[in-house]
Amino acid sequence: MTTAGATALGPRPLRPRAGAVLAVGRMFRLELLHSAMLWLLPLAAGLFWYDAYRPSMAVPPLWSLRALTMQHGALLTFVLPVVGAASWMGSRDSRRGMGDLAGIAARPRWVRQLVSWAAVTGWALAGYAVCVGVLYAATARQAAWGGPLWWPAVVGAAGIPLLAAIGFAAGSCFPGRFTTPLVSIAAFFGLGFSSELAHGGTSYWQISPIIAGAVDVGPDPGVATFYPYLPDLPIAQLMFLAGLAVAVLGALGWPAGSGSRWLRGTAVLVTIAGLISSATAVGLVGTARLDPHGMMNIPALHDAANDQPIRYSPVCSQAAIAVCLNPAFAAYLPVVTSALQPVVSEVSGLASTPTRILQAAPTFTQEPNDAIGIGAPGLPGTGAIAGARPRVLIVALPDQLPGERQPDLTTAEFADQVRAQVGVSLADYVIGSDRRHSQAQQAVRAGMLIAAGVRLVAPGQRMDERGVTARGPAPGTAVYRAAQRFAALPGAARLAWLRAHLRGLRAGRITLGELP
Amino acid sequence: MTTRLAVLYLVSRRVPAAFAAVIAVGAALRLALIWDWDSYGALQLPFVLETGCATVIAAAIASPFGDPERATGRRLPVLRLSATLALTCGTAAALAAAGTGAHLVGGFLGAARNLVGGTGIGLACAVVLGGGMAWTGPAAYMVIGTYSLYAVWHGGAASGPWIWPARPPQDLGAWLCAGLVFAAGVALSTVRGARGQAAD
Repeated sequence: MTTAGATALGPRPLRPRAGAVLAVGRMFRLELLHSAMLWLLPLAAGLFWYDAYRPSMAVPPLWSLRALTMQHGALLTFVLPVVGAASWMGSRDSRRGMGDLAGIAARPRWVRQLVSWAAVTGWALAGYAVCVGVLYAATARQAAWGGPLWWPAVVGAAGIPLLAAIGFAAGSCFPGRFTTPLVSIAAFFGLGFSSELAHGGTSYWQISPIIAGAVDVGPDPGVATFYPYLPDLPIAQLMFLAGLAVAVLGALGWPAGSGSRWLRGTAVLVTIAGLISSATAVGLVGTARLDPHGMMNIPALHDAANDQPIRYSPVCSQAAIAVCLNPAFAAYLPVVTSALQPVVSEVSGLASTPTRILQAAPTFTQEPNDAIGIGAPGLPGTGAIAGARPRVLIVALPDQLPGERQPDLTTAEFADQVRAQVGVSLADYVIGSDRRHSQAQQAVRAGMLIAAGVRLVAPGQRMDERGVTARGPAPGTAVYRAAQRFAALPGAARLAWLRAHLRGLRAGRITLGELP
Repeated sequence: MTTRLAVLYLVSRRVPAAFAAVIAVGAALRLALIWDWDSYGALQLPFVLETGCATVIAAAIASPFGDPERATGRRLPVLRLSATLALTCGTAAALAAAGTGAHLVGGFLGAARNLVGGTGIGLACAVVLGGGMAWTGPAAYMVIGTYSLYAVWHGGAASGPWIWPARPPQDLGAWLCAGLVFAAGVALSTVRGARGQAAD
């Protein structure tokens, strides 16, 4: 056996690059085993349960509500464990007096730091994925229709590398016993209060990853249910988070001793690229506008394909006038149907009565002072379904569902809202949708609503904040007295009179004196 | 001799740096109060920064020497107690100064209650987890407290006295709970000290 033969039979030497990759892989494995983040995962999971899972599960099981509520709380619950663990790991060498020992290691300091950061980030992302997975799995079991919204989850995940980078950089640059608590609290403060600074539809602060969608709209059942979830804002948030994380990590490689000149030059370039990405994202967010469907539209990132409504088959009740809802709202069909029954019984069988009441997407408009106007639906919302079908009343459900947000709404209050808001639309549809009703039309409309149990508020008086009232004639007027008389009639008499006089009433030919 | 011992103890616990950190947090609070915070942010802001002060106090009790000091230091409990109380009182004074002339929601009473409660949690965590991880307790409690404040602002149900940040500053039950936690934390940390060494 020759020496050459022995060499040929022995293990083949690795190429330098492959060896370096393997070494970094081994280092990563060791860092994973010793990462403080592993021990803080239970804390992160507990905080996620308290601050993200519970509030999300408390809202009705609509994907949009659950996912957008989750995005606000999820990253906030991971701030403290992630920044704390990263800071603790970043200060490890200095804390334990191993700076000189680690300085003579085979790998550049920047590479070692990146591996340690990657271990913290990896554990945190794994924990985040499990937490969000549990929440989404629970929602999938409860949601009547639709699928998960991934963008809110992705934005939260993209925030974790940045948080770890900030914590790691702070621990590395300022090693000390107070660094970890202070930087953790500071990061929580900065992230948590970033949403407070966002006002109106054009605020640059919407770049904050805890802002899910339009800042003044918030999680709303009408958002991302009828139209696809717009990824414009999440894309900008991702650009910002990734860019800033890269910039912070790049800055770790600047100091002398971080590596070779080539490596430090690379770190500078990486930092600049990251900052450019972040600045671009902030600039893009400044161009965002609220679209009619309650989401933020950034023209440079917008895909027109997302403006097409989602196709669905509505779920309908079996009633004199079928009530048809988006399938995501299927759980509310019984309460909506029964709430409308008193109004439906006032108009059933009349010539101008609609055959269906169809729920459509509400429209959102940005108003001054951070207010949002939620308007009646336009025809395009469910154009694909309503099509050219005649005698379909298109309405939006009240803006707030029971259990959706505080102050909460009971199911009975929701039913009152439906009766008042949708009932008015139904009455208007039947007696004539022209806003300039004749006095007789006003009286009949009011009489029908009173008989159906809707509370009326006179013009000039303040409407109740719960939305359970409708506008009606002022007390003491002739219209008011006629409405009271009409409401006092037996239901069958009202219906009989309407059958006989509806055509004239709609045409404005009936006078107040001709009402029964 | 006693003075020298006290000075050495304070230096070993980085108490001067802790005071500097607390003053910095107080200054941050003062600056933040210049901003016109609306909605629940005005409630949460002081509590978050008070928790920051509490984590600093808790981190300050970690020993850089560990067991050798435990074995030889006979006056350690007195030194621990004195340093903790001095830091807590100094921090309360810093917070009071930060809130002077500004609209600090809850006032000094609320700030002091939140500080002592958070400090108590932090001291207990230092005994159980070590000085390096003492911040985790107050920080976790801060998340719970800020959520409760958010819920209260939105008209949710009132919290129990153990969630003292969400109670009015004069609430006796909340004061008792925060005080009890503080007393327990101080007692534990005085007798046992922080677990392990500061570098662990």
